[in-house]
Amino acid sequence: MRVGIPHAGNIYIPFRTLFRELGTELVVPPPNNQRALDLGVKYAPEGVCIPFKLTLGNLIEACELGADTVLQAGGFGICRLSYYAKTQKEILHDLGYDAEMLTFDVSQNKLRGILQLIKHVSDNAPWSKVIPAFRFGLAKVAAVDDIEKIVHKMRAVELEKGTANRIYREAITAIDEVADHGTLKRVVKDYSEKLYQISRNPDADSLKVGIVGEIFVVLDPFSNLDLEVELGKLGVEVKRAIFFSRWTKFSLFLNPLGVDEWKKVHEAAMPYLKRDVGGDGWESVGEKVFHAHQYDGIVHVAPFTCMPEVVAQNIMPSTKEDIPVLTLLCDEQTAKPGMLTRLEAFVDMLNFRRKRIGNLKPGVIK
Amino acid sequence: MNFLTAMTKVGIPRALLYYQYYPMWRTFFEELGVETVLSTPTTKAMVNSGCSRMVAETCLPVKVFCGHALSLVDKCDYMFIPAIRSMGKRAYNCSKFLGLPDMMKAVIPECPLILDMDIDVTNGKRTLYQNIYSLGRHFTWNPAKVKKAAEKAWECHLAYYQQMFSQGLTPTQAIDEIFSEKGVGVDQETANSSLTLTVAVVGHPYLIYDDYINHRLIHRLQTMGARVLTPEMVDEEVLDVAMTKLVGNPRWTYEVDVIGAGGYYLEVKVDGVIGVIAFGCGPDSVMMDMVYRKAKRLKAIPFMCLTLDEHTADAGLVTRLEAFLDMVKRRRREQTCV
Repeated sequence: MRVGIPHAGNIYIPFRTLFRELGTELVVPPPNNQRALDLGVKYAPEGVCIPFKLTLGNLIEACELGADTVLQAGGFGICRLSYYAKTQKEILHDLGYDAEMLTFDVSQNKLRGILQLIKHVSDNAPWSKVIPAFRFGLAKVAAVDDIEKIVHKMRAVELEKGTANRIYREAITAIDEVADHGTLKRVVKDYSEKLYQISRNPDADSLKVGIVGEIFVVLDPFSNLDLEVELGKLGVEVKRAIFFSRWTKFSLFLNPLGVDEWKKVHEAAMPYLKRDVGGDGWESVGEKVFHAHQYDGIVHVAPFTCMPEVVAQNIMPSTKEDIPVLTLLCDEQTAKPGMLTRLEAFVDMLNFRRKRIGNLKPGVIK
Repeated sequence: MNFLTAMTKVGIPRALLYYQYYPMWRTFFEELGVETVLSTPTTKAMVNSGCSRMVAETCLPVKVFCGHALSLVDKCDYMFIPAIRSMGKRAYNCSKFLGLPDMMKAVIPECPLILDMDIDVTNGKRTLYQNIYSLGRHFTWNPAKVKKAAEKAWECHLAYYQQMFSQGLTPTQAIDEIFSEKGVGVDQETANSSLTLTVAVVGHPYLIYDDYINHRLIHRLQTMGARVLTPEMVDEEVLDVAMTKLVGNPRWTYEVDVIGAGGYYLEVKVDGVIGVIAFGCGPDSVMMDMVYRKAKRLKAIPFMCLTLDEHTADAGLVTRLEAFLDMVKRRRREQTCV
């Protein structure tokens, strides 16, 4: 069995690890690139969102590389995600690729479903092999995100722009190659130290900008046009709550036990949006309200025609808690210069705003 | 409380779910002694005012809904905008239906109190009944009265669907019939006997039956000499079977109207199928693709997909319809010759 996966940020790292441990062949398509997007745009329905088009492009490229089984997220939900697998299967079939489509359910029986799926693709490997491999995959997700959190801080204050990003890329490669828990810990420690040692601008007082929105475009640098890197270049510290490690930790393990990581955010959203609208729409509104006094501004990223985010986008301007929000819609038509201009203008505005109302302290801004 | 209810008015926008549930809603409120105010059919002013309030990326039907709600602002004391999450097991409504009351509250700050009732069948009957009661609680303290009103409303809803199915009426005609605002005679069949072509139009009721946003699509087809079939004219169970055959279990509540009807009409003897979708509609973009793929594979019946948005112009639509019908006619002539 040769299994192909779509890309979403760094999700290929845990998958690669998992499959290596289990001895199943994994086909990782080339990292998200213009060709994958073009393929997706060409064969996907016209009005569908960019995650669909990109993942379709990835799956086509994986099939070209000889994958006979493809994985895609699925499940029951309000958002179009529940239709991805069905439609993509038809499209691949029409293109002449007879790949079997396997879905891992992200909304119901999550942990059990994912473990059973892993067992299935690894030709029924014993649980004694599946579970440690899965745990190691999760450890890698966490490792990548730990590094990323430091990078968010360092990008804003580094003297020589681009240093943090270079180390980040080295770290990702190193984490990808690591084969056991001990080395993984050491690698994370080494690279964290390296990152902290980057020479900083002594009088940098970086703006804090929260990134909220739809999980795929938030986490995938290709579809959001390197939003975090560009903000870092402008001297902005990026804050975000959406991480794969957080998702795996809560929805696989803690949510079934009744712990809701978004509880405070949902409560904050309550006066403006009373119910879950699928996807990440509720969280987007909640995060705006919740962080209104903590951040300087918020960048809201969403795929074009994303249903939950359109609801959020309509509601956000009406909240009493005031904080500048820049909504960036991502699709195949988005070009980098346009986005950069908007980001620069936004950051300028935030700088002026900060000067006007004094340094940011909780409760100062009305 | 009593003198208040005597003149209380509840506004119902004539958009989105109006076409499916208006008789039920109106009966419910009238049984509780509340007057309902319905917005007029869609006008240009409504579309414009809706578009000016909503974010540009929002789909056309929701913008139109906003326009309808805006036109009702001064005319009622309450606005009824339910948040319908689910009408069947494991099938949900689109996010925009769920966020509808909150979105309207956000974009229309001057809006009267919104009655935003949660309807989620998956939560069980008890919760549903509680929600119905808390809706009725705005107008009466008497649970028995609410119960009676709800039962009457349900009967009316069933009668409405029965009427549409048995007499081949469109929702607009059936609503007129029920509340006899106009005495519409069902002369459609006799008028249609001279028509030679049969064209099925599939899509959401709020797109097919809103004559302003679809530029009188059905009327135009009829004047061009086609008998028009719509999803309501087929038994829901038949559509269910067609849908299951095409995509398996539904994920969205209205899949029957689009995939079910599309799949069904592509297999029965009609001369052409027209799919109507709104630009920016999430579910439509993938659902209509399924129908399109089926049509492509069958290669039996011509299929055309019309995408509507607020910029769609009459002329463009007419040209496409004429071209489609010409093609259908020519095709039929060839088939009869062979």
